[in-house]
Amino acid sequence: MSVSLIILIVIALVLVLMYNSLVSKKNQVENIFSSVDTVLKKRYDLIPNLVASVSKYMEHEKSLLEKVTQLRSEANKPNLSDGEKISLDAKISSALGSIMVAVENYPELKANENVMHLQHTLHEVEEQISAARRAYNQSVTDYNNAIEMIPTSFMASLMNYKRKDVFEIVEAERKNVNVKELFS
Amino acid sequence: MKSVSELTDFYYNNLFPTLQKLENSRKSLRHRIIFVAIALTALIGVIAYSLKNYYDFIIFIYIALGALLYKFMIKDYTHEFKMSVIKPLVHAIDKSLLYSSETHVSEYLFEHSKLFTSPDRMSGNDYVKGQIDGINIQFSDIHAQKKNQNSKGKDSWSTIFQGLFIVADFNKHFNGETVVLPDTAQSTFGDIIGHWLQSNNASRDELVKMDDPKFEKEFVVYSTDQIEARYILSHSLMKKLLDFKHKSEHPVYISFIGTHIYMAISYNKDLFEPSVFHSLLDYKVAMEYVKTLHLAIGVVEELKLNQKLWSKV
Repeated sequence: MSVSLIILIVIALVLVLMYNSLVSKKNQVENIFSSVDTVLKKRYDLIPNLVASVSKYMEHEKSLLEKVTQLRSEANKPNLSDGEKISLDAKISSALGSIMVAVENYPELKANENVMHLQHTLHEVEEQISAARRAYNQSVTDYNNAIEMIPTSFMASLMNYKRKDVFEIVEAERKNVNVKELFS
Repeated sequence: MKSVSELTDFYYNNLFPTLQKLENSRKSLRHRIIFVAIALTALIGVIAYSLKNYYDFIIFIYIALGALLYKFMIKDYTHEFKMSVIKPLVHAIDKSLLYSSETHVSEYLFEHSKLFTSPDRMSGNDYVKGQIDGINIQFSDIHAQKKNQNSKGKDSWSTIFQGLFIVADFNKHFNGETVVLPDTAQSTFGDIIGHWLQSNNASRDELVKMDDPKFEKEFVVYSTDQIEARYILSHSLMKKLLDFKHKSEHPVYISFIGTHIYMAISYNKDLFEPSVFHSLLDYKVAMEYVKTLHLAIGVVEELKLNQKLWSKV
């Protein structure tokens, strides 16, 4: 067997391995995103319940509640792209956060068993979402690394793979709570 | 829970009369051991001199007989020590805890933890069981061994794990299996090769890369579920586990399976045994008993296992 044939086989093998690793990374991202989607949906399902039980008391935050309801219906639309889902999730996170802060101003609400239960469930779902987000970000990082690093970057550009976005932490979550503001 | 310094006070103040009594029996025991050792050595020496052959057999007899005699001689002292020092110490931490000097955590739980390969022989002692803040916890000294056969067909025993083994209720619901091991590959072979080796570990589940660089440096995580692993190992738990690891000063193995958290701390020696050749009043000796007990029972508080989530009632 000639040397050139062996070299050819080796090159083909390397190409196949590179191709397969890229495809598996892409599929991992998609696979984890579908799990993210499931937990996000769990949270969307809690929203009508939450809005129904707090709207009686929250006269001043009507616009906030309407906004959340509207965001939810947007998120439930079919055929959203991954990027749109990510940005909607960020908006809903911050809106729900403001509602939870507002609940603190209503002693009747804080004592309401139904609201308390919803609050805890929401907290639990938030933890699941956070875990799913972190898993998604890691898989996207692996994927992005692969399509930008040599030698897989050449293969990726041939396959027309593009960088994907990671979930960003909502600005409101990152900020420290300003205690003074809460009391003013 | 009492702090380490409070427990040390308890050791020196409340246990002082017992310790003094034990200290006397320790001293006479030490004399007896030295005497017996000299007598045995002389006897074996005479036998070896007169036979002038079978040296390896004689050495074997010498070691076996010596170990047997030693074990027999310290038996009463050990029992008294455990009942009058370790047991009160455990009860000083929490009255409701049960202590047994003879039994250990069941082999079933040890294997169920998926932390180590299943042992061929398992021994242990100093079993503590009870509830701390409503959380079930049990732990004991464990020595798990594996049988190896060399080419000549001779058996030898190698240690899989020796140290403290803790089982406690965990406060989150999960279905998969998540295992956290000390990171040896990455620290020996560097990041890239280490990662490659870890991701190709056939005996373990999928590698989970965590987003806490300090945690990732100390530990490697394998799980059946990428998302669930991160659900269990929240940022705050990773930080607490790191603190726990630094506090224990020994390699720590952790797994989350079923409804439990399993923790194995590898000391590579039998714990809670009385010192024969050092004074029981020695600060270092005392601190070791107190610190190890405090570490094990403190797991509930340290990892905040008592903060149950709403979903787990």
